[in-house]
Amino acid sequence: MLGWEFPPIINGGLGVACHDLSAAMSELADITMIVPKSSPDFKMKNMNLIGLNNLDVNSLATYFNNTQQQPFTLHTVPADINPYHTLQPENFEDTYCSLLTTEREKAGVFTIDQLYGNDIVSKVAQYASITAELASNMDFDVIHAHDWMTMLAGVKIKQQTGKPLVMHIHSLEVDRGGENSKGWVYQLEKKGMEYADLLMPVSHFTAQNIHQHYGIDKRKMFVIHNGSKVVKAFRSKRRFKEKTVLFVGRLTRQKGPEKFLDIASKVLEKDKDVRFIMAGSGDYFKPLLEQSSYRNIGNRFHMAGFLNSQKLNYLFSISDVYCMPSVSEPFGLSAVEAAQFKIPCVISKQSGVSEVLNGSLKFDFWDTDKAAGCILKLISDSVLRNKVIEDASQNLNSVSWEIAAKKIIDAYSLNQLI
Amino acid sequence: MPSICFYFQVHQPFRIRNYSFFDIGANIPYEDQQKNSDILNKVADKCYLKTNKKMLELIHRHQGKFKISYSISGTAIEQFEIYRPDVLKSFIDLSDTGCVEFLSETYNHSLSFIYSKDEFKRQVEKHAAVIKKYFNQEPGVFRNTELIYNNELAAYIEDMGYKGIICEGLDHILNGRTSNYLYKPVNTKNIKVLLKNYRLSDDIAFRFSDKGWAEYPLTADKFRNWIHAIAGNGETVNLFMDYETFGEHQWESTGIFDFLDHLPAEILKHPDFDFKTPSEVVESLPARDIYDVHNFSSWADTERDLSAWLSNSMQQEAIKQVYSIEKQILESNDSELIKGWERLQTSDHFYYMCTKFWNDGDVHKYFSPFDSPYDAYLYFMNVFSDIECRLKSKKKKIRKAAKPAKTKTTLSATNSAESGSLQKINTDTNIDKKKSQDKLKEHYSQMFSYMCET
Repeated sequence: MLGWEFPPIINGGLGVACHDLSAAMSELADITMIVPKSSPDFKMKNMNLIGLNNLDVNSLATYFNNTQQQPFTLHTVPADINPYHTLQPENFEDTYCSLLTTEREKAGVFTIDQLYGNDIVSKVAQYASITAELASNMDFDVIHAHDWMTMLAGVKIKQQTGKPLVMHIHSLEVDRGGENSKGWVYQLEKKGMEYADLLMPVSHFTAQNIHQHYGIDKRKMFVIHNGSKVVKAFRSKRRFKEKTVLFVGRLTRQKGPEKFLDIASKVLEKDKDVRFIMAGSGDYFKPLLEQSSYRNIGNRFHMAGFLNSQKLNYLFSISDVYCMPSVSEPFGLSAVEAAQFKIPCVISKQSGVSEVLNGSLKFDFWDTDKAAGCILKLISDSVLRNKVIEDASQNLNSVSWEIAAKKIIDAYSLNQLI
Repeated sequence: MPSICFYFQVHQPFRIRNYSFFDIGANIPYEDQQKNSDILNKVADKCYLKTNKKMLELIHRHQGKFKISYSISGTAIEQFEIYRPDVLKSFIDLSDTGCVEFLSETYNHSLSFIYSKDEFKRQVEKHAAVIKKYFNQEPGVFRNTELIYNNELAAYIEDMGYKGIICEGLDHILNGRTSNYLYKPVNTKNIKVLLKNYRLSDDIAFRFSDKGWAEYPLTADKFRNWIHAIAGNGETVNLFMDYETFGEHQWESTGIFDFLDHLPAEILKHPDFDFKTPSEVVESLPARDIYDVHNFSSWADTERDLSAWLSNSMQQEAIKQVYSIEKQILESNDSELIKGWERLQTSDHFYYMCTKFWNDGDVHKYFSPFDSPYDAYLYFMNVFSDIECRLKSKKKKIRKAAKPAKTKTTLSATNSAESGSLQKINTDTNIDKKKSQDKLKEHYSQMFSYMCET
């Protein structure tokens, strides 16, 4: 299994998903997980976890001595490519430092702190060559790669060993950057997915996107909905009287934070006694703050910034409605978490989670009128509210990593990969 | 006989802490007490005590010929009371010489005149009371926060009984005239306006230690020559500046205290020149012309307008929210709540939210305790939300307290006319039943539409 983010070094939902999924799968199969960085003290049951940062740099150097046939030639262009738009740009020099010369330096790529950043191109390439070398000495049946950062590695290993390649798609470039985003990452994704034997998108929504934007046959795909860890839900007493609506996510285009602001001002037109809380940071932070003041809802619209899980859980525990207006959300684990806290969800139809969470009110991300109406209904109508919560808790029974893991193993054999 | 009129601004705001969303309702103090006391201690030692000592010495040395005036904000006095009573004492000592005048301003150094005349008046009166209490003076000259001024303010202040008011000497209003005379604001009867001579004032306040300035270094006799040069073309030179100029903005090592030490003697060398307090200036000199300021002006930034406090949407939203709850706050009669709300009016909070990050931005940044204007706004609004919540729960308590009394009276009424009220109760319950049935119907129809969708 090839992963990129892995606890405790995580940036978003991918690390959590990889960890929880591989833990569930390790009950059913032997797994070797290779990630660029892992904490040396972090051990997992039934699983061989390799972090490239923990390998001996000198022994690694030997891997580069035998030059291998590349699956496709890669020209590294100094470019500032950043899959998640929360990271601050580094200083200018770093951008152009990706031309690594010695082998030692090449292997040293993964000892630095950031998984993404300005030299992501060289990181992905180095990850691929080191991983391919490691794999040549291993015995396994299936290559299971997560997202575009590991695709190149997956392709290399398949070329080298002829083993079947499965690509697990948690997020696409067209989700993050919009459908016109067809740059380097898009090309890598497209080629990688074409080359793979089987694709596992996290939702039908993502499967449709892969088909529509990458032209890949749906028969090659097998949707695996994400699971979710069981969270100990609790309720806390709010320190203020107003009903509370919560948004959790990076403040980037993909998550539709400005839609949340629209919805908030529409709700507040009808009912002043509602507070809107936004947890998360990103490059929309300042514009949103200014807009909320411009719309005169500054005393009802709170931007709490990036929060740790303890504070986040507290927010879940005091909220009355969860709102996820994502423009393009492959899954949307946070809505599941909200449902676990017995909060009714108002979520956009452009999300994977809307396929599993039937106990929720859904809207098209652009239809903020409808979303505002749903929120007003949920906070005023306890019958509807209870019904939605009840339905959601029914749905939660089928959202689990164990089910996802079993489906994956079934899919392997169904497609005669094992 | 031209006079020199010194006025020094003494102000310290109650800076609010990094008050996060999670602090709302948690009974956490709004102010960063540590930071406030640290800053006050620093400024007290570097500036207030040292300069006050120097001023006292100069007054004694010149046997009453050296006169100055101060405007001390209510929030500064409160902080002296809490953290540095010795500073307050040194101001009282100065006041006892009879050569020091204390001016009137809004207690909380607020922008209240722009948003609420009632609150403005209340604060001016509150400030006058505290000046009376400590310095036994009844102020006759008014200066508004950061010299914010327009014709309307001058007229309003005259109605409140003041004889003089202070304003920036604005080039576009003076239109070639000099700021070294008294003027009369339009639409007023007797009040006179004293104009800041911003060139000479800023020579001391801003340029004194600027090595790039052509006149550097500024010495007392050089400055004296500039002052004496106005003889025949002016009657009063108004030198208005922040008191923190001495020792804080211009460090002791720049020689600012030596400059101050020699200045009065140098100026008094010319027999025609003397020092006057603003009230003496207003009483002894006539207004020579009309000074017409239609739009608000101030002494801040290069714009000399309100943009330092009210130019972006965050500043406007924050201040609008504050004044939107004025009536409820004052009606609550809760002194703690009122105090918290009053302190939110201090202009500095809005200054920190300013996003004009050009030349003036440096100044804003220097004074701001926050990392960015956005932080300043966030924390401010969280504090405001907390005040709103306290106000709401207070109201509820009052209502709760009022309720049992009501039921008692209705009880006695039912005793007297039992049968009639019983009937009424029956019809009431019937109406309730019907209402709840209607509500249920509505619920079902909403649920139906929800089920259809899912």
